[in-house]
Amino acid sequence: MKSSKRRTTLTLPADALRDAEKIARARHLNLSAVVAEAMVNGLKMQASASRSNEVLEGYRRAFQGFSEDEMAILDGVILEPVKAKA
Amino acid sequence: MIDPAWGPFLFDTSAESWLIRKATPAVEAWLLKYLDRHRIHISAITVAERMRGYSMLRTSVEPERRFAIDVARASYLSQLGEVRPLDAGTAAAAGELLALLPNPPSPPRRNHRLAESQQERLARWRFDCLIAATALVLGMPLLHNNPEDFEAIASAIERSPAHFPGLSGLHAIRCTLIV
Repeated sequence: MKSSKRRTTLTLPADALRDAEKIARARHLNLSAVVAEAMVNGLKMQASASRSNEVLEGYRRAFQGFSEDEMAILDGVILEPVKAKA
Repeated sequence: MIDPAWGPFLFDTSAESWLIRKATPAVEAWLLKYLDRHRIHISAITVAERMRGYSMLRTSVEPERRFAIDVARASYLSQLGEVRPLDAGTAAAAGELLALLPNPPSPPRRNHRLAESQQERLARWRFDCLIAATALVLGMPLLHNNPEDFEAIASAIERSPAHFPGLSGLHAIRCTLIV
């Protein structure tokens, strides 16, 4: 599905804009297409980083507050008290 | 050093917890880079080991800690990545491994006051063979923190390729070597 477009006015850093214009000339695209592509890619990276942090946080919550012996049990290592020798 | 882009990897139970609990800033940065590109793949056996652990802890702790354990368990389940099932091909490869290596390569774990029974050690070994077989059949590198078991399994596969037709060897990577 083709996404719809909206016209807007943005204030962008002059250096970044010059770089975008160079890319546009080299790729025979208009400036809007290059800026839109950069923005979509940047937003994708942002969303991906946010998902990665969520996974890491979920793991931290899953494993926090346990002692080393308890973590061993969560890892499938079941240790029992050693019986005293008679 | 292991490039996260080489993934996806199958994370053994031991690797999952090591990466979270023992992580240095460099390990955490590695994990975030990995997660930007791939999901965490684990075997269904890892889920079984964890759920058994949460359940055992829940019944052994004082009642006021039970809610915290339920929250931890729910957090684990809610962020699960790709859980790889135990299918016929994996089961067949695991059966070959267990026939080649019926006994665990290292003794039961113990510390000054706690010890793993022979029965528990054998069960854990069999779980490890199932996890290794999952990675083997998927052709996915296995990230682990259990060199005694997984290096023995990788060597056995290398020595007996006829038992694993059509499968290339097990690429076992110790998680302490990723950065």
